Amino acid sequence: MGDKSSYHPHPPSWATNFLRWYCRSELVDEVEGDLYELFQRRVEAKGLRRARLLYWLNVLMFFHPDYIRRRKEFYSPNYLAMLRHTILLTFRSFQRYKSTFFINLVGLSSGLACTLLIYLWVTDELAMDKFHERDAQLYQVMQHRVQGGELVTSTWVPGLTAQTLVEEMPEVEYAAPGFGLDQYTLSLGDKDVKAVGQYVGVDFFKLFSFPLQQGDSSQVLADKSAIVISETLALNLFGTTENVVGKTIEWQHEEEYQITGIFADPPRNSSMQFDFVLSFKIFLDENGWATRWATSWPETYVLLKPGADVHALNEKIADLITRKTNDEVAHRTLFVTPYSKNYLYGNYENGQQAGGRIDYVRLFSVIAVFILLIACINFMNLSTARASRRLKEVGVKKAIGARRSALAFQYLGESTLMAMLSLAVAVLLVQLLLPQFNEITGKQLYLPTNASLAISFLAVTLFTGLMAGSYPALYLSGFNPAKVLKGALNTSVGELWTRKGLVVLQFTLSIILIVSVFVVYKQIEFVQNKNLGYDKDNILYFDRVDWEEGNLETFLAEARKIPGILSASSMGHDMTGHIAATYGVEWPGKDPDDRTEFEMMPVSYDMLELLGVEMKEGRTFSRAFSTDSAKIIFNEAAIEHIGFTDPIGKTVVWGNETLEILGVVKDFHFESLHEQVKPMMFWLSPQRTWSVAVKINAGEEPETIAQLQSLFQTFYPGFPFDYKFLDQEYQSMYAAEQRVSTLSKYFAGIAVIISCLGLFGLAAFTAERRLKEIGIRKVLGSGNWNIVYLLSGDFTKMVLMAILIALPISYFMAQRWLEGFAYQTTIPWWIFVLAGLLALLIAWFTVGLQTVKAARVNPTVCLKDE
Amino acid sequence: MSQRNHLGEFEEIVLLTVGILYDDAYGLAITDEIEQRTNRKVTLSSVHKTLMRLEQKGYLYSHMGGATEERGGRKKRLFTITNSGKDALREAKQLRNALWQAVPRVVWERGNI
Repeated sequence: MGDKSSYHPHPPSWATNFLRWYCRSELVDEVEGDLYELFQRRVEAKGLRRARLLYWLNVLMFFHPDYIRRRKEFYSPNYLAMLRHTILLTFRSFQRYKSTFFINLVGLSSGLACTLLIYLWVTDELAMDKFHERDAQLYQVMQHRVQGGELVTSTWVPGLTAQTLVEEMPEVEYAAPGFGLDQYTLSLGDKDVKAVGQYVGVDFFKLFSFPLQQGDSSQVLADKSAIVISETLALNLFGTTENVVGKTIEWQHEEEYQITGIFADPPRNSSMQFDFVLSFKIFLDENGWATRWATSWPETYVLLKPGADVHALNEKIADLITRKTNDEVAHRTLFVTPYSKNYLYGNYENGQQAGGRIDYVRLFSVIAVFILLIACINFMNLSTARASRRLKEVGVKKAIGARRSALAFQYLGESTLMAMLSLAVAVLLVQLLLPQFNEITGKQLYLPTNASLAISFLAVTLFTGLMAGSYPALYLSGFNPAKVLKGALNTSVGELWTRKGLVVLQFTLSIILIVSVFVVYKQIEFVQNKNLGYDKDNILYFDRVDWEEGNLETFLAEARKIPGILSASSMGHDMTGHIAATYGVEWPGKDPDDRTEFEMMPVSYDMLELLGVEMKEGRTFSRAFSTDSAKIIFNEAAIEHIGFTDPIGKTVVWGNETLEILGVVKDFHFESLHEQVKPMMFWLSPQRTWSVAVKINAGEEPETIAQLQSLFQTFYPGFPFDYKFLDQEYQSMYAAEQRVSTLSKYFAGIAVIISCLGLFGLAAFTAERRLKEIGIRKVLGSGNWNIVYLLSGDFTKMVLMAILIALPISYFMAQRWLEGFAYQTTIPWWIFVLAGLLALLIAWFTVGLQTVKAARVNPTVCLKDE
Repeated sequence: MSQRNHLGEFEEIVLLTVGILYDDAYGLAITDEIEQRTNRKVTLSSVHKTLMRLEQKGYLYSHMGGATEERGGRKKRLFTITNSGKDALREAKQLRNALWQAVPRVVWERGNI
């Protein structure tokens, strides 16, 4: 527009738009004109940039109450009053319908609290081991071995793997082995401390982000006499971390090590927890066999160079063991997997990644969603049900002139306020429950005060509130006031169906959870009470500390003299998992490619008797025969694998020795019941045992342990007497399942309670709505029980429907879970009947409370008006 | 209320400038005129606010003038002094004169301190 001969630059349009937005309409023209004129003048005098800047400044200077338009131009003048009115009505309706309010508050807040707890647990699990600075490059070397036609995966690899990978693979920047993570005794003068330590490679602190507070990461483990300790250990031993480096401490009363560094305690979200590290070289020097490529001992971690091709590396290292052993050991392949992934994805089935802890993370995430869903359904059902009662309110408001948006705002505000209140209660609940929850989960969770958590939970709450409020907000507010006030509107069929469908969904979820609890409980019980093939009760064991030949026998002989001790012996196993195995046993007719490994169990005399293992054939080792040390005992699985039909007296060759089979023991479970019983062999070699086991007379535990302890102290002064009970250790193998069992019990309980709360609310509402009908029926001669039957019939149908849907689903889910166990309990049919019946009974009870009350009403009372 | 009718110093200047500009007294022109005559920096927005205040007090009357090219097509608000505005100015001037006359001559004739 206008004069095209002279060019007029434009003032910044954002500023102009801003001015037009805020400025009163009667003033905007003159102000804009003045500013425009000024701008043009300034462009000539001071240049475009300055003029634009000054223009902005001017616009801002006009941002003044005299110029800002009043909002009343757009909103009704009683806007604030309306808001106050809405809030007032909300609180009034809370007050008036107290039961609904409490049902909503209890249901929603416990649902939110469960979700919050699970969220905390899940985020903690997901963050495990991710704190290492170079997490993306940090990998762990894993090994598949062929065993009985299947691939078995473990984290143990040959001792020289780390060194070889660094030397031969250009992709690898650093590699470090780690071995022997266990409790040891450290002493400073007279002071003995139990501490967890391990042997690690020189570059350990370069791979992992366990920051060294003192010492240099490339130097601390350079020397074989070096020990690096944690801050806490330093404080425990010395009371300070000052001037600790350079001092010497004693390890296992055997060896002295010099402190070369102090590292910060491993954070809680590290799966590797330790107090000190020693050089891996010590381990290699003392155990020459560990450098053999045919044996697998340490875990090995590698740090790949940035951008390294992991697939190519995996292909290259797959046959590393085969090459190093000149094709002698060809059944073991190596591969690397991201270190931080191993925590959640640690299980392998026949060489394929098959879940791990992630299964439980997923399980609980689903449970959290279930519970929140159940709570939301309550909320929605009750608010839609109540909403129809507010039709008149809607009509009156609309007649007076309330706009649809104002009504919608009121309903949404009401439900959002409710949800927010519940969130506040939920946060309180979580604070209260966290200590117990931590005890069950074995974690140290806390409620963090970070924005992301707050935002995600506010979002969930807001969503819940909006969802629940959306029906009345959008549907009811659209009614024609004249019709509503005349009472011409009936509840729509679709709405009824939705409500019923939601109840069915709620109960379906609850029943699934009930069945799951039963199944998990059954399996845990089965595992605890299964005849393992040996007697795990009253057996106490502790690590051997003295390796002098002959001393162990003396100690055992003394121990047997203690009156409460039934038997004492030692073994090279702990009965709670795979320890060490060999494929070196040879027999006539063995397939040369057979690499099936036999679990090795060196024992002292009496060990098999102590464990109560039953003999199938032959006899156990006996002092009466001096030649028993050249004999061997197998378990049934081993004999079956070897294929001997009449094994006693036949011989096998192991290493350089020919061993005669002395007996066959019945299979017993030396690993968790997730595993099949594997071949096992026993031979008499007290010197190679490392675990001393003692069978105690039941009922005399305290005195006997005290006597044993004093005996231990006289034999091994300076070593703390640190024992375990075999049955407790056995149970701890199923810690994860125990946790799931306990937690699912609680969560299922909460889900059922929340569902019932919802049902209770609905039943109360229905009874109230049908009060007149009930009155008329009673006048016409209907009995109390007829009324109860009438009112609970609907709910019974819903619950039955839920049972029908839930049972097949839960059966399928239970089967899937049990497949993870090699030895499973059977799911008896009555579990499903019981779960269904339980749901039905609970529902009846809940509804019954209301219906009986309704049925006993005096018809004159409810029919007298209208 | 006498308080309200009292003219502030800046108000007086603005009011007088409106008079000077006679038929082209609008925001920016008034600002320019004041800057030139008094040799002091005044901002457009403060002049605007004063103009609005004076109009509220009834000393000024305004109407929208024609749009011009140099203003990008926007109208200007043209101000004229109302009778009560003139009264207020006169009153202010008389007050000042009275004060001047009340100052004894000797004050002016004694030498500088």
